[in-house]
Amino acid sequence: MSTTEHAQGAATEPVFAVRNLWKVFGPKAERIPGDARLGELSAAELTARTGCTAAVRDVSFDVHPGEVFVVMGLSGSGKSTLVRCLTRLIEPTSGTLHIDGEDVRAMDKSRLRELRRHRAAMVFQHFGLLPHRTVLDNIAYGLEIQGMGKVERRARAEEMLAKVGLDRLGDRRPGQLSGGQQQRVGLARALATDPEVLLFDEPFSALDPLIRRDMQDEVVRLHREEGRTMVFITHDLSEALRLGDRIALMRDGGVVQLGTPEEIVAAPADDYVRDFVRDVPREQVITLRRAMRPAVGDEAITGAVLPPSTRVVDAIEAVARTGEHVRVGEDGNVLGVVCHSRLLSVVAGLDSGHGGEPRGEKAGAI
Amino acid sequence: MSRAPIRTSLIAGVGVLGLALSACAAETDGDSASGGDGGGAKEVTIAVPSWVGAQANAAVAAHILEEEMDVKVDIKQMDEPVAFDALHGGKADAILEDWGGVPKKEELYVEDKKTVVEGGDLGVTGHIGWFVPKYFADENPEVLDYENLNDFVDDFKTSESGDKGQFIGAAPSYTTYDKHLIKNHDLDYKILPTGSEAAQLKEIQRLYEAEEPFLTYWWDPQWMNAQIEMVEVELPEYTEGCNEPAEKTECGYDTLMLQKYFNADFAENGGEAAEFLKNFQWSTEDQNEVASMIAGEGMAEEDAAAEWAAEHEDVWKAWLPKS
Amino acid sequence: MSAPALEKRDERPSEPPTETVSAKEPAARPPGPAAALAARLAARPSALLVALAAVLVLVSAFVTGSGAWPAGMTVDVTTPLEDLNAWLVENRDSHWLFLYFLLHVSNNAELAVDSLIGLFEGLGWVGVTLLGTVLAWYAGGAGLRPRALRTAATALGVFLVVGVLGMWDPTMETLALMTVAVAAAALLGLLLGIAAGLSDACDRALRPVFDLMQVMPAFAYLLPFVLLFDIGVPSALVATVIYAAPPMARLTSLGLRGADPAALEASASLGASPWQRLRTARLPLARKEMLLGLNQTIMMCLSMVVLASVVGSGGLGDVIYRALGKVNVGQALTAGIAIVLVAVLLDRTTAAAGARLEESETRAPSPAAEAPRKAGTRPLLRSPFTVSPGRFARLRGWPSWLGLGALAAVLSALGPRLGEEEWPREWTFRITPYVNDATEWIEKSLGSGVPVVGGTLTWAEGVTNGVLNPLRDGLNATPWWALLVLVAALGWAVGRWRAALTASAALGVIGVLGLWTKSMDTLSQVLVALVITLLLGFAVGVLAARVPRVERWLRPLLDTMQTMPQFVYLIPVIALFSVGRMAGIAAAVVFVLPAVIRITAQGVRQSDPAALEAARSMGATTRQQLLQVQLPLARRSLLVAVNQGVVLVLSMVVIAGMVGGGALGIDVITGLSKGDLALGLPAGAAIVCLGVLLDRLTQPARTEGR
Repeated sequence: MSTTEHAQGAATEPVFAVRNLWKVFGPKAERIPGDARLGELSAAELTARTGCTAAVRDVSFDVHPGEVFVVMGLSGSGKSTLVRCLTRLIEPTSGTLHIDGEDVRAMDKSRLRELRRHRAAMVFQHFGLLPHRTVLDNIAYGLEIQGMGKVERRARAEEMLAKVGLDRLGDRRPGQLSGGQQQRVGLARALATDPEVLLFDEPFSALDPLIRRDMQDEVVRLHREEGRTMVFITHDLSEALRLGDRIALMRDGGVVQLGTPEEIVAAPADDYVRDFVRDVPREQVITLRRAMRPAVGDEAITGAVLPPSTRVVDAIEAVARTGEHVRVGEDGNVLGVVCHSRLLSVVAGLDSGHGGEPRGEKAGAI
Repeated sequence: MSRAPIRTSLIAGVGVLGLALSACAAETDGDSASGGDGGGAKEVTIAVPSWVGAQANAAVAAHILEEEMDVKVDIKQMDEPVAFDALHGGKADAILEDWGGVPKKEELYVEDKKTVVEGGDLGVTGHIGWFVPKYFADENPEVLDYENLNDFVDDFKTSESGDKGQFIGAAPSYTTYDKHLIKNHDLDYKILPTGSEAAQLKEIQRLYEAEEPFLTYWWDPQWMNAQIEMVEVELPEYTEGCNEPAEKTECGYDTLMLQKYFNADFAENGGEAAEFLKNFQWSTEDQNEVASMIAGEGMAEEDAAAEWAAEHEDVWKAWLPKS
Repeated sequence: MSAPALEKRDERPSEPPTETVSAKEPAARPPGPAAALAARLAARPSALLVALAAVLVLVSAFVTGSGAWPAGMTVDVTTPLEDLNAWLVENRDSHWLFLYFLLHVSNNAELAVDSLIGLFEGLGWVGVTLLGTVLAWYAGGAGLRPRALRTAATALGVFLVVGVLGMWDPTMETLALMTVAVAAAALLGLLLGIAAGLSDACDRALRPVFDLMQVMPAFAYLLPFVLLFDIGVPSALVATVIYAAPPMARLTSLGLRGADPAALEASASLGASPWQRLRTARLPLARKEMLLGLNQTIMMCLSMVVLASVVGSGGLGDVIYRALGKVNVGQALTAGIAIVLVAVLLDRTTAAAGARLEESETRAPSPAAEAPRKAGTRPLLRSPFTVSPGRFARLRGWPSWLGLGALAAVLSALGPRLGEEEWPREWTFRITPYVNDATEWIEKSLGSGVPVVGGTLTWAEGVTNGVLNPLRDGLNATPWWALLVLVAALGWAVGRWRAALTASAALGVIGVLGLWTKSMDTLSQVLVALVITLLLGFAVGVLAARVPRVERWLRPLLDTMQTMPQFVYLIPVIALFSVGRMAGIAAAVVFVLPAVIRITAQGVRQSDPAALEAARSMGATTRQQLLQVQLPLARRSLLVAVNQGVVLVLSMVVIAGMVGGGALGIDVITGLSKGDLALGLPAGAAIVCLGVLLDRLTQPARTEGR
């Protein structure tokens, strides 16, 4: 469980494999997914025509072991419905859904309960704490549901309490804690069952910005320490970019673009996404791997060497200091170079929009 | 911004309604000058207690008044004590069946204030007593003497009465000395407070159908006597004044001629309607016939009265005023 | 013999949330249950106090064996009340109070009702039906909207069914009385509500008055009213107004207090005078609550109008009351159905008016805006500041009112000429025989001899012998001072000093009135009725909250149970439970159950959805979700249900007296029917005291925020 070094996109089996998933609310919802003509309608048209709302429409993706998979979109885009479909808190209308190769939609009640108890735990936007229990008992609640004995579960809960930095607050009631502390309790409760996947449903959107930042750091730290697979729902782009290994951007129930933060910022799939990422400080997201160009002449011989994962903002510093280009190298090979004009065009956003532009990594391979 | 039109339309509506109201009020005022101005009332209000016998009286009287004499009759349901207040205040014109349950009010209004006058006998004899069902009396003839009642405590025991025998009591407004009788004769019985006549009737109906033993306050005339057979338990004989004061009562109940009472003003100025009601007099059998049509067969009161009137013309012809 | 009941009462307070003994030190010998209990109690002083008081009760009951309130400590209220009674009877024709005030009240009340009856007669049945339908249509928003048409159709249906049932005349009488009573009650409630809403002092002063008005059994004050206002319509009207005004007042006050402070601030900042503020800001902002209050007031008026038939007010209550004397359930039910229909009519009409109001405050409904809500997603954010389509409302408002007025005028002019004042007799259909057959079948088949479970009569006997009798005897065996201590301890545990003082004072007053033994009898019945109601109510309520289909089926049933006059089901209840205390308890359970079910269902349903979802996401079973999340979270609602249950059960004490409940109930009835103020009023006061006592002990204290 603690191995972090899964190569992303490798041939290992995905934790979640989602194919053509639909969730439609409304009368006779099951007819919508199969109907190609209805599937083409916009959300408003569909509602007007059928009285149904497609909260999730035809969504497919894989979540790989150890990655942080972020689903982001504005409110009403269907992301919260999607995450609930993963453990069938909301029953999907159609499509397939596998966890570690096992068909979730085919699970019977007890198997599903098993899944929820041991394999996936969720953190909620509004915490969902029980006001009549102490903090410690709240954390232990998941274990209590599993039927663990009182002593054992309390000990485990104490451990989790320390892990989220709330030692000594175990005897309080949730109502006596601040919002940030409450969400730490929610996090500890999810961690206590030692799940394979953590599902976060906009966990920090009810918190103040500063506390939100703290909590994001906490998640980053946890992920670094434990390498647990996470599915993270958010409507906050900066949060998505900060946390996500890959991001699925949703709109009106469908996935508009799926890719690394860099891909999304550098190569938005359509105008909607472009609009979305317009204000992102690009130099902080885009790496040299994308910004570099092939070396010309003797450029490959001189200049400082930076790894391709260096972000543009750091390269700017090097270029500014030396006044000349920087080489991008990996394992002793030079992949390409960046000069100040190249970097400036990244900052100015002139490099994006050409989705078909050859990728640096391919162009400069070995 | 939509408040103003709502208000104005409300005012308009109320205004129109008010107009209509006042028009109608003016219209109805004309013919509703009730109870005894001048030569004969066109409208009579009869106060009726909740039991069926009294309803039979009123229904028959109303039927004949309305059909033969063109007098409108308003029948108002109220218990004896309230009915006397109504007679006193002129809210009601007549009571046709009084069991003497409120002697104090009777005295106050009839003797002192002279706002209520006696209206003579109804012709029906009322009798109250302690009764057991016939099927029980047949098997245990000794139960019919009150002195032996303590031997039957076990038969009459219920969960309500605990280790005593249960005596099914009367509705609260009815004349009873049961509490004192039980105490003064050292009977090991507890009164079940039935709370209403309906409750008592239903309970007796239920017990009778199940053929269970019971001891109850009971009376005649009573429409249910046509359906069930009851036998009276002998109590010490009634003598004049033996139930005064009530706490010392040891004797049984009197047999009484049920009385009519009228509002004094109505009796004097009620004209033909008043004369008719004064003449109104029928037998226990007549009343029971109508009562069991109403209660036993579930006929509407008007229908029962009409049916009786059709068959007994000789009886009611005598009540009509001789003009 | 009294032991079982006492033990039962001992256990209740000292039982903390069921968890096994704490096992933090598994090495140590598990402490005995007694020691664990003691440790637990020591940790919670109020529980300790209650436990000690309970022990005291137990011990003292065994030592003394009988503990009625000493006769020396009672106050004779009978004599002054008898004097008052006599004075009223003596002076009602001559005293100025009657001649110049009360007489006018009576006359005006009577005139108003008579005029309305006259109007209805003038309109004829065609006119009344048309007018009522049009009114309902207007209340529903007029035009061709579905709601307006639905409301109008309801009204039309109600009038026609009432006619077919042969209940036209009494229904018109009831409607007339209702209209006047509702108008008076709403006006009084509005004024009191404004006073309570604007002034804290008024609020504090009026709160207990409202409580008293609602808990005091109407039978207890109907009698003085008969003496004050004369029998018939006037006293019925006054009693109804008293009973029905509190909800209007409470909700008006609530609405005034709950108004958006920003809007009030804005109005103040514009320099509005207090009167302007009330008229332009506070009252309009409280409209929704006021309409809800009106709705409740109407319902309470309706139930009271039936009771008031005892003093000769006529109408449908009269029909029911007379049917009772004939043990004719079918006839009573026919009138009962008419009452329920009138209730449905008035409820739907006011509800439609309320919905229209809400709509005009928010936005015009468009299919696009409504669809997502139907689709089960969250409703769109609705701004309270969107402009309503006022222009159309205005256009629609005027002609319809004018048309209505014209229609009324034309109909009342034509009505008599149509020759149809009353519903034609040949168009009626008597359901009585069918109902009676059905009732008889139910009575026969459920009463006894049902295999395995034994039937209702057997249960009634079992409960009476096993619970009621021991509980009553136990209460009577307990010394009065020990009960006072127990009540004070319970009060302290629930609401500290204030509750302890009020509760024990209430118990004390009962003793002083000399009604100790009877009150203990009534108390035992109330407790048993309460426990049965709560057990059933919680179970059904939870079920309804979890299974939407159950709730849909239940709703009309609950509506009927709440609006059906209790007199109607007294006879079947007797057939099923036999005359006695259990019959009264059964009637009370039928009456109180709907409220408990509703509050429970709502509380369970409204418990924080995030917490429930969290539990589901962790794989909690249905049972775990219910016991660990939904019920604990609904705790406040459950407490409210208990509290409402207490108040409603107490309101049934008098009705229970009519089917053999005895005790305080029968005293009130006897007082009324014998015209004995000195018997009825103290018993009524004792019922109020029991109400205060139980209310304080079940009211969750505001300080309890741990």
